[in-house]
Amino acid sequence: MTGIGGWPVGRLSLLTGPRGCGKRTLAQRSVAAASLTGPVAYVDFPSRLDPEFLNHLDTRLDRLLVVRPKSLKEGMASVRVLARAGVDLICIDLPRTRSAGLDAELPHLLHRVAEADCTLLLIYDAEADDAIRYYASMILAFQRSAWVFRRDGDLEGLLVDATVVKNRLAPPGLKRRLIIPYPIP
Amino acid sequence: MICCVRTPHPSLVAAWLKEPALRGRSLVIGGLAHERASVTTASAEARAQGVVEGMSLNQAQQFSPDAIFQPVDEEAIARVRQSLLSTLHHFTPDVAAGEDPGCGFLRLDRLTLRWPDCSRLLAAISRAVEAVIRETPAIGVASSMFVSKVAAAHATCNAPMIVDHDRTRAYLARYPIEILPLDDDLREYLQLLGLKTIGRLQAISRPAFRRQFGVKALEVYDLALGDDRRRLRPWRPAVRIEESEPLDPPVDNTEALQFIARALAERVSASLLAQGLGTRALRITLTQESASPLPIEVRFAYPMTTAGELFDGIRPRLLRASIVAPLERITLRAGRLEAAYVRQPGLLIRRDGFKESIADAVARLQEEYGSSLIQRVEVHADAAPLVDHRIVWKPA
Repeated sequence: MTGIGGWPVGRLSLLTGPRGCGKRTLAQRSVAAASLTGPVAYVDFPSRLDPEFLNHLDTRLDRLLVVRPKSLKEGMASVRVLARAGVDLICIDLPRTRSAGLDAELPHLLHRVAEADCTLLLIYDAEADDAIRYYASMILAFQRSAWVFRRDGDLEGLLVDATVVKNRLAPPGLKRRLIIPYPIP
Repeated sequence: MICCVRTPHPSLVAAWLKEPALRGRSLVIGGLAHERASVTTASAEARAQGVVEGMSLNQAQQFSPDAIFQPVDEEAIARVRQSLLSTLHHFTPDVAAGEDPGCGFLRLDRLTLRWPDCSRLLAAISRAVEAVIRETPAIGVASSMFVSKVAAAHATCNAPMIVDHDRTRAYLARYPIEILPLDDDLREYLQLLGLKTIGRLQAISRPAFRRQFGVKALEVYDLALGDDRRRLRPWRPAVRIEESEPLDPPVDNTEALQFIARALAERVSASLLAQGLGTRALRITLTQESASPLPIEVRFAYPMTTAGELFDGIRPRLLRASIVAPLERITLRAGRLEAAYVRQPGLLIRRDGFKESIADAVARLQEEYGSSLIQRVEVHADAAPLVDHRIVWKPA
């Protein structure tokens, strides 16, 4: 879907869309997969990380660092230092409120990330600012499409439309329909 | 050639240095007689009465009722060990600490120009060690660490044991196999086969020994032939860089404090520059007039050397420090010293040639923003069905 076989290394990828459409699920699956090969970090601004879900995905929790910053400055400083120290993938879960100062932090952050060949995922519930959209190398927009029911009438999952809105490394515009199965353990 | 200098256990030496009256008396180190602990070491007088290492203190008291029991003083042991090794370091930088606490090794090969006569060199080493720990060491010289250690164990204080390279095999042949580092299975097996001396072991060919005991046991076989392939890992004396300034009259003004801290940073920087070192951690101790001293830790991502860099780390923490009384003294101590060259910019790579480890990065962030910033999580799936029991958050 991304055209390069995964997330771009040394660049910023943005996951955007309304609440409950699978952004965090996809990001946590990416964290779980990356933890099998190296250290990963999750910057959890809204405290929405679900360790049991990660455990269910066979994440190497001993390789996961969870950053719980009190301010944007703390969070961005942590990302810069951890990227430089050799963390392979950092997932930043931003708060829903507008993150003032993020656009000013991003150039420094991306310089460090590019230098350290670290993959950066940014989860943003709200409509992303122009600056964030500009600095992102890839933007994946998520939209809830429909509920999926079993034949017996029970709820099976959620159908989500994922669209590559922007892609600097391959042609954009690809769409996929994903099913997020329920119940999530 | 390698020289092994063997002294009594450092805790015994420390006890004798502290109380010279204990020399010649039965002394047991490991704890007080009524304590539930084991004997770490014992003096020759106590050993003569049957006390051995590893025995319980209660048993040791039954064997030697008039013995003096003392607890283990780790700091004193470290001091004695450091002073032994630094004494040997004056002769040559090729010094290594032995696995036994009272052992030190020197490589003598590069000392032939300075000391053409080996016996004079050994006498000088013996005198130097005796001057520091007030105890004459036993010295063994041989072609490898293992043989020199065996030679030192069987040498007397007044006569060093020198084993020539050609005589190594014959020298070891008379000793029992217990002096080799054997595991229990191999020892039992060798004894069952009636191999009780190293000489009997040497009589077996290497392929036959390998067939019978496996590849791992070849290490023991090589040692039995006097072939010790372990490298002598050089010991480096600890470098301490500390600058201190008494403040008279006591200072309660932050501007003045910054001025003095800057001067101290320049002095520390000069010491670091002179030795080509950089520091990754600075400890500032502010001695207050009527309150307890205030320690402040500063960590750096890179080994810092210049005064400006050091002061940039110190200044914000000094301004944040909760000083409750005028200051009488300020001390700056550089820790975690590393070679400064790691900061040389790489010419062909984008980075500056230095990479901080993740553990260091986490420690630095926690020091800056608090230990709760970065956490690790553990999930106990089989725990009680309460969130706090199943998910455990810990500072990373």
